Amino acid sequence: MSERTIHRDRPLITAWSAVSPFGLGRDAFAAGVARGEPAHLVPDFDTRKVLGKAGTRTYDRATGLAVTAVRELLDEAAAARQPIATGGGTALVLGTTLGSAHSAAGFSRASFEGDKPYDVPAQLMPNVLMNGPAAATAIRFDLKGPNTTLAGGAAGGLLALGYARRLLAAGRAERALVGAVEEQTETRSWLAGEPDRPIGEGSAVLLVETARTLPPERRVLAELLSLDVRLAVDEDPQEALAATVRDALAQADATPDQVWAAAVTGQPAEEQLAALVGPEAVRRVRTAGLLGDTGSAGTVFSVTTVLALAEQDPAAAGRLAVIASLDHQGLAACAVLRLAGGDR
Amino acid sequence: MNAPQRAASAPQRVVVTGIGVLSSIGNGVEEFTSALREGRCGAGPITSFDTTGFVHTSGHEVDGFVPERWIHRLPVEQLGRATQFTVAAARMAVQDAGLDEQRLAGLRAQVTVGTTDGEAGELDRMMAASVAQGPERPADQLLAGRLPAHQLALAVARELRLPRVVPTVLGTACAAGNYAIGDGFDAVRTGEADIALVGGADAICRRTFAGFSRLGLVSSDVCRPFDADREGLLTAEGAGVLVLETLESARTRGARIYAELLGYGLNCDAHHPTAPDQSSVARCMELALADAGVKADEVDLVSAHGTGTPTNDITETRAIREVFGDTPPRTVALKAMLGHSMGAASALGAAASALALAHGFVPPTVNHRTTDPQCQIDCVPNHSVPADLRVVVNNGLAFGGNNASVVLGRHEEEPSR
Repeated sequence: MSERTIHRDRPLITAWSAVSPFGLGRDAFAAGVARGEPAHLVPDFDTRKVLGKAGTRTYDRATGLAVTAVRELLDEAAAARQPIATGGGTALVLGTTLGSAHSAAGFSRASFEGDKPYDVPAQLMPNVLMNGPAAATAIRFDLKGPNTTLAGGAAGGLLALGYARRLLAAGRAERALVGAVEEQTETRSWLAGEPDRPIGEGSAVLLVETARTLPPERRVLAELLSLDVRLAVDEDPQEALAATVRDALAQADATPDQVWAAAVTGQPAEEQLAALVGPEAVRRVRTAGLLGDTGSAGTVFSVTTVLALAEQDPAAAGRLAVIASLDHQGLAACAVLRLAGGDR
Repeated sequence: MNAPQRAASAPQRVVVTGIGVLSSIGNGVEEFTSALREGRCGAGPITSFDTTGFVHTSGHEVDGFVPERWIHRLPVEQLGRATQFTVAAARMAVQDAGLDEQRLAGLRAQVTVGTTDGEAGELDRMMAASVAQGPERPADQLLAGRLPAHQLALAVARELRLPRVVPTVLGTACAAGNYAIGDGFDAVRTGEADIALVGGADAICRRTFAGFSRLGLVSSDVCRPFDADREGLLTAEGAGVLVLETLESARTRGARIYAELLGYGLNCDAHHPTAPDQSSVARCMELALADAGVKADEVDLVSAHGTGTPTNDITETRAIREVFGDTPPRTVALKAMLGHSMGAASALGAAASALALAHGFVPPTVNHRTTDPQCQIDCVPNHSVPADLRVVVNNGLAFGGNNASVVLGRHEEEPSR
């Protein structure tokens, strides 16, 4: 039967988890956010110890982090008796910057260092492609719906959310796991040269559903009211950020005073964001300060940070979160979420 | 601004009004169309990197590419070759669509580009230098700045100065072009974007050539899909970008319409990192047909993924027969002409499908001698044929089990009511 209807209902975030510098899983992340002490490397992350030896021999770090984040999400949901269906109805949309730069560099290096230029580790070829982590995650958890790796740099997480919204609107999936992964490796550090701030890593993933497909008794954590993306064509990135935040709020029929929490990742722009939505909202969420530069995962970590904080603060209910990014070439993006509770 | 309405609504019809291509058989839509008709094969010795030591050394490269001809605003040295290809193909497509760039800048645009390797060729060059000079040598920051794959779409937006743009790069390997076209289709049909520039691009690179060589998948001479003596693929480069807009928008501005984009399907095998899964590939085509509202017996042509490797061609043929029955539509593999241009492959396939519909011909599967009895399809060997095509299915399959099929239909002006 052809799917000839566009569904306009807003995407709902109904669960989340993360593998982060604060440890494995949602509770570890929430505890780390509450402590507020910066950390940049996922501690003691040995893929084969975390995931077991079956099927993980060829995993690189990015793949291990992504698979683990999805495992945590699925396991936590099952433990809460709110299992997440897998199979053909479930999409996976995973943001990245370079996939595993370390795998790609190692594969290329082998071609130059081997006796023959084709002396490359062929069994690791899937890892040099950006879709390695998403493909491995699909195989491990039987995710047969749309499986999309989206490269977006600092905007990657928000672009992934927008992509997932299109999939759900067109009825191409009933639910989507939306997240991003970045690994910390010597190759990434080498490529970064002398960055302004520490490189962070991890993978965060959101369960995104719609009212049409929401299982009974699933708790809604937040609703995506709007998403705006724009480019500073006149070399004024701060103005592009201001315009995208203003437009995203306008699309949500919202005003800055309703904003409870706000974060911007990518280029440092917290002062500019504070000028738009108030310093108090920006003070609540310090994604980059806590985790360093987590690339495409930055905006997803901002979302999980806000959701972790909102859980602990009844004053957040019904208010808004502004999740923004700004990259060094002037691409600005902003999502407005309504946090559950209150008048919804 | 246009906040999406919350009620369900009927989607817009989406048409292809511009095509930009760079390929081993020709650059630009006219040259590409003649090459498809003539059945030109773009194979030749690889010159982009040193092939010394490789057993087989042929590939499909883009000739005569002058980036400055297409890239006017961005500093070309900041862009890797795949990014240059994308920007050039996008500008070609915009010009082909007859779009005024100033007017374009006022529209909400979706720019989605699929790629397998992104700027891996640039990383290869960095690794060659690192091996020669020692790993303690700092990374060249000009080259490092070219690497992030999202540059492919972002550079298009920056070059065309599109302020209201969603620049997205999909890294779904060798099906990425179709993924990108599907994303643009959804953005336009839902009204999220006024216009979409979508497709795929890849530049030939050593590491992927080395990988396929190691896997024994590189042909010694040319690519012969569905042939009993096929040896494998030839890696390639290229870019294909389509301009998508609503039928209403195209009519309003009097645009030439190549074809209608009827629908697409995408799924994941979730089965094996490299081997395709027959039933999952069949399912992908079924999803696409259902999305397009087309019955299997209404399809006149399949533009296959058709890599010319032993496994792909058998699995894909069986999947096609699973969907279309014992008398499947003619099924051609453009990779015999174009090589395997990775993320560009299915975008070039979609461009060729649109041109086939518009001009009424079937591009051939060249280099063909004897059809493999295990590939029971009519692959239209060696010579194009005139054909009254109405519906074409274009397949893209990838490592990681990422499948996507796009369905295109002939555009016919309806009598005004």
